[in-house]
Amino acid sequence: MDYKLVGKDFTPPDVVAKVTGRAKYTEDFRAEGMLFLKLFLSPLPHARVTRIDASDALKMKGVVAVMTADDLPKIDPPDNTMLTNEPVYFGQPILAVAATDEDTATNAVEMIKVDLQPLPFVMDPLESLYPGGPDAQSNGNVSSDTVKLQTVKWKAQDFAAAREGQLPMGTASEEWSYGDLEAGFAAAKVVLDEVFVTASYSHMSQETRSAMAYWQNGKCYVHGSCQSLTNAVPGLARYIGIDPSQLVFIAEYCGGGFGSKGSAYPTMALPAHMSKKTGRPVMWRASRAEEYYVGSGRAGYQGRVKIGFRADGRITALDLYIVQDCGATTGYTDYQAAGACVSILYQPLAMRWRGIPVLTSTPSKGAQRGPGQNQMAPAIEPIIDKAARQLGLDRVAIRRINAPDSSGKVFDMRQKKLEPLTSAFQKEALDKGATLFNWEEKKKMSGQRKGSKVIGVGVGQCYHGGGSSGFDGLVRITPDGKLHIHNGVGNLGTYSYAGTARVAAEVLNYRWDHCVIEFGNTGRHLPWNLGQYGSLTAYTESRTNFVAATDAKTKLLEIAAGQLGGTPDDYSLADERVVSKSDPSNPSKSLTYAKAAEIAIGLGGKYSGKELPNDINPITRRAAGALAGTGLIGVSKDNIKRTASVPSLVAVFAQIELDLETGKLRILDLAAVADCGTVLHPQSFHHQMNGGAVWGIGMATLERWVYDPEIGRPANRSFHTQKPPGWMDVSVDMKVDAVHAADPQNPVGVRGMGEPIMGGTASAILCAISDALGGHLFLRHPVLPDMILNAAAGKAQAHKPLAVNTQ
Amino acid sequence: MITDMMTPFELYQPSRVDDALALLNRYDKDAWKLAGGNDSFDWFKDRIKRPRAVIDLNGIAELKGVRETADGIEIGALTTLAEIARNPLVRQKYGLLADAARKVGSPQIRNSGTLGGNVAQDTRCWYYRDGLPCHRAGGNTCYASRPTSMNREHAIFGANRCMAVNASDTAPALVALEAKMVIRNPQGERVVEAKDFFIGPSVDITRMTILTPKDLLSAIRIPSKFANAQFYFEKVSDREAFDFALVNVASATIVKGGVIEQSSIACGGVESVPRHLKVVEDVARGERQNDATAKLVGQAAVRGAAPLNYNQFKIVLMQNLVARAIRGA
Amino acid sequence: MSKNKINGGCKSGGGKNRERPGEEDLSLFSSARNKFISRRDFIKGVISSGATIAALGYMPGSPGLSRARAASPGAVERLISLKVNGRTRRVDVLPQETLAMTLRYKLGLTGTKLSCDRGECGACTVLIDDVAHYSCTTLTHSVRNRSITTIEGLEGPSGELHPVQKAFVEELGPQCGYCTPGQIMSAVALLKENPHPTREEILLSMSGNLCRCGSYDHYFRAITRAAQGG
Repeated sequence: MDYKLVGKDFTPPDVVAKVTGRAKYTEDFRAEGMLFLKLFLSPLPHARVTRIDASDALKMKGVVAVMTADDLPKIDPPDNTMLTNEPVYFGQPILAVAATDEDTATNAVEMIKVDLQPLPFVMDPLESLYPGGPDAQSNGNVSSDTVKLQTVKWKAQDFAAAREGQLPMGTASEEWSYGDLEAGFAAAKVVLDEVFVTASYSHMSQETRSAMAYWQNGKCYVHGSCQSLTNAVPGLARYIGIDPSQLVFIAEYCGGGFGSKGSAYPTMALPAHMSKKTGRPVMWRASRAEEYYVGSGRAGYQGRVKIGFRADGRITALDLYIVQDCGATTGYTDYQAAGACVSILYQPLAMRWRGIPVLTSTPSKGAQRGPGQNQMAPAIEPIIDKAARQLGLDRVAIRRINAPDSSGKVFDMRQKKLEPLTSAFQKEALDKGATLFNWEEKKKMSGQRKGSKVIGVGVGQCYHGGGSSGFDGLVRITPDGKLHIHNGVGNLGTYSYAGTARVAAEVLNYRWDHCVIEFGNTGRHLPWNLGQYGSLTAYTESRTNFVAATDAKTKLLEIAAGQLGGTPDDYSLADERVVSKSDPSNPSKSLTYAKAAEIAIGLGGKYSGKELPNDINPITRRAAGALAGTGLIGVSKDNIKRTASVPSLVAVFAQIELDLETGKLRILDLAAVADCGTVLHPQSFHHQMNGGAVWGIGMATLERWVYDPEIGRPANRSFHTQKPPGWMDVSVDMKVDAVHAADPQNPVGVRGMGEPIMGGTASAILCAISDALGGHLFLRHPVLPDMILNAAAGKAQAHKPLAVNTQ
Repeated sequence: MITDMMTPFELYQPSRVDDALALLNRYDKDAWKLAGGNDSFDWFKDRIKRPRAVIDLNGIAELKGVRETADGIEIGALTTLAEIARNPLVRQKYGLLADAARKVGSPQIRNSGTLGGNVAQDTRCWYYRDGLPCHRAGGNTCYASRPTSMNREHAIFGANRCMAVNASDTAPALVALEAKMVIRNPQGERVVEAKDFFIGPSVDITRMTILTPKDLLSAIRIPSKFANAQFYFEKVSDREAFDFALVNVASATIVKGGVIEQSSIACGGVESVPRHLKVVEDVARGERQNDATAKLVGQAAVRGAAPLNYNQFKIVLMQNLVARAIRGA
Repeated sequence: MSKNKINGGCKSGGGKNRERPGEEDLSLFSSARNKFISRRDFIKGVISSGATIAALGYMPGSPGLSRARAASPGAVERLISLKVNGRTRRVDVLPQETLAMTLRYKLGLTGTKLSCDRGECGACTVLIDDVAHYSCTTLTHSVRNRSITTIEGLEGPSGELHPVQKAFVEELGPQCGYCTPGQIMSAVALLKENPHPTREEILLSMSGNLCRCGSYDHYFRAITRAAQGG
């Protein structure tokens, strides 16, 4: 398709503010009379609060209020809390103090006496599943979004049945399967059976989740750090205990979220409650350590996979079991996503998935960039390489023969069945990547040794969902001729809020500099959109902006027909005018958009937003209602047909050099090709590919949580101990491309792409490390210098098999 | 558990050493000597260290700069690491120290961090930095040496109720260069060998150096003994910036006709002090500079190492780094 | 509750729009301005120079001169002059106050970000006499008589972007943008000292600035572009 705006670079409207320091993040706001909130954090990994004595603190000059869990709406375990009387991990907030300045609030926190009765705690899911093992919550040890809190103990026989280093596999809490697994394994030439471990670790967004709130005229105003906007409103209103219509939510900029700020989260509501209690604006400036405690993390896995391969590499049967470390509160569905990821990447002829989400006494874990898929692929991809070696197959070829095309399927956990795909071109992604990387030549360098250094090459893949549907679009043409694109999706930094807005401009044939994006503040009247997460925005909101703009287009044509005669079909759009198709250059047969907007206001009804469609969300209805009469309103629910699951896929190639004397790795080359439909905005596509690759490098080689299992404290609650990758850890000029095959179920052909590149890169690097070491499998990530040193020296690894949250 | 609000202190910014010494004399244990602040503010913001008076030494001009002396150079203790890394005198003759300084932290840390601060920094044992009451913090246990401890970064030598390591990158370089530390206090001045400046838990478990509260490290003297020698510095850390060494190595070797005439070598990250490898020097002396000698000295270097559960790899790493230092790559 | 005045801005498009006060209610729309402006979008102008800036609520109540012995050599006065972005400002500074705190909470220069507050990320990077420093680990009292430049001090007199800023826009440098001011300050410091850096020199000089979004490649391109004169 030949587009004027879609697929072209542009400067998103918030970039200048970001480079000048004028971009205002939550903690950059100040209100007169503002109080400062400080938290008392749990010094124990699991305990019950038996007494709080704040009397000394309350006597201090400048201390205004102390708030405990008893002052807040009750949140039932195991859901994450604002404040709690039963802390379930070290660092969980127990109480909050508000004072006229931070110094006083801090001193007051230190004056409060909190008596705690220690309770059992656990760092390793398998320990909790052992008969009599400790539970992270006093009412249970297993829970997720889809599994009710319960106590599960496997039998001692389950553990005894597993050999040393094997994953015990007691009863799973969920499972699915298709095809004949046993027949598949029987038909296989090579069957591999391996265990793996993936690390939990923090999101480490650079903006901590500070929040500020005040109440005015019956409404609560919250400044929060959030990836999403309107989608966060219902949840935040619930935490505050108000109706969504009473909430004004401001989050114009978000200093990184990566899933951890995808929607409303409990602590965002703390200042609102404290403000209500004190009658003054309240700011909570979250510290870096607090961000570690309350800021979420990726769920780690202890897993086992058995895979059967035909002689040609085709996977005949795959059996996957995931024990997930959920942290201390309701677990996220990573473990389920792991199954879906494997089902689409390899299209196994038969497959079974089983999983159990287990609570540990560590901070809550939620969605983190490709939650589930991105830790799964790097765990399994090196095992695929092992099969390729045994079968004498090329590593790209073994992936290619299993890779999905548009007839491929993905297992949908909710519908409990294999779902078709809107389109998929993973074979093309592998081919294009192999060419871009020069795989045929590079693979000859595998194992080449120069002094202490050895070369490794690898290929990796990953998958994530790439789109949703059913949300609302809202645009408005004002009498000054400008197009206002109201976008409620949030501003995470991917620029998809702006890229998708351009779809509306494209439909209406608008010059981009005549368009204004309204975003970042529900006070700007924003529609109900999906949250900005899950690689979903580009697909989902290009549809909502398309339908809203199409609605505006229909109205423009109708207005022209009404004013100038004829039927709407007699008119078309050109140069921000409605013109006669038969006589496009005749001024008397045309209307400017500005004029049409004026007429729309005069006409009222659906044209000016006085009448609205019945099927839009109440949030969109309120937004459009507030705009009624200010211009020509285009508003619609996305009812475009979608009959299949929207995939986002990637193939990544890596060449690395390992120094066997230091255990250090250097990345020499990276190339990646995304299968993501039309590229909406090349610069931001490139940005996401590079940024996601940086995350992949972190996952593969640096990042993990370390806990002392005896005292339940984290060893790493700072950047320098958590080790997110820096400039010199990722210095490689990465080659990036896309398949560029438009998706048939998106009006401009796009699918999302931000997430799988991370898992794909981690996979490629881990495969390359394994390749450099002659096929050695670590079967866990990250792979750190000490592990490489031990492997190179033929020594045992320090970590125990299957151990998690430790070194 | 509050990690971002310093407790109040009295701040002094003397411009003369004598004034600083007078303040140290007056406040004694209640005083905190502030150089670049990269270590100090961590302690203050965690509210673990709550000094009454902070003596900011950055305004004392006489503590800054690199001077050539009759026998080498003298570096003011408050000279920044960035200045040392780019100083022509240091780079030309004592490149080992410039190389070590360039590996510290990050550019901004090197712009504020000083040589004195870098060698006098406290250990990074996470249990100790977390405020736990270990031996070093005045308690009666070592959290890092239990069967379940997380001790990947801890010591493989010299344990004595404490497994913490010296985290400095410049300290091993100074030990290898046989630097002398000039210490002033209200009673006068004394000069000690770098290898004696650093102390282990068996001497005093609460300190990393011999500096007492009233002592001020004023300068570091590098003798010309190893000027223009073969130098080798390597630091292995998980990340290339913002990280402390898992193990680092600093060596100065004098080679004549392919034979090692003299070598001086020290490793960081393996003991509570930069480990001065005297045994390696003895083994290497008179040997040809080749792979065989490198392997031999690598093995000699790690003799007697006693690893914990998670840091056995440091033995291999130290052995390899010492071998690289001797063979020069 | 009385009407709250909010410092900080929330404007459609951000960009070059200068802050200006508005009085409309949130429900009102000003089509002439193509955006909603409200009381709550009101931004308090930059605090005028010449006036003494007192603590705005972060750190009063600490012992200052009262406990310091004013007669001692080296004892500090709380009231000091700071030279920030070419202007001299009188500020009341606590002994333990970091430069990041002073800039953000007393001078309203919130472009300097706090992310780790520990010298581990670079979001708070400012120039002190043209050299990059972490303002979170710098005592404000130690920068008296020195020239401080923040992100707000880079633009030209009529608001034109600094060449590094311009290059960051053209290469779409930022993602979330939170580390961007610090990255730009380090890049400015680098190019002042070394106008034509090599790839390795750029990586090394920028290595004190973390970007969790992983925008390193775009930042690298931007710095290269700025070094080549745009």
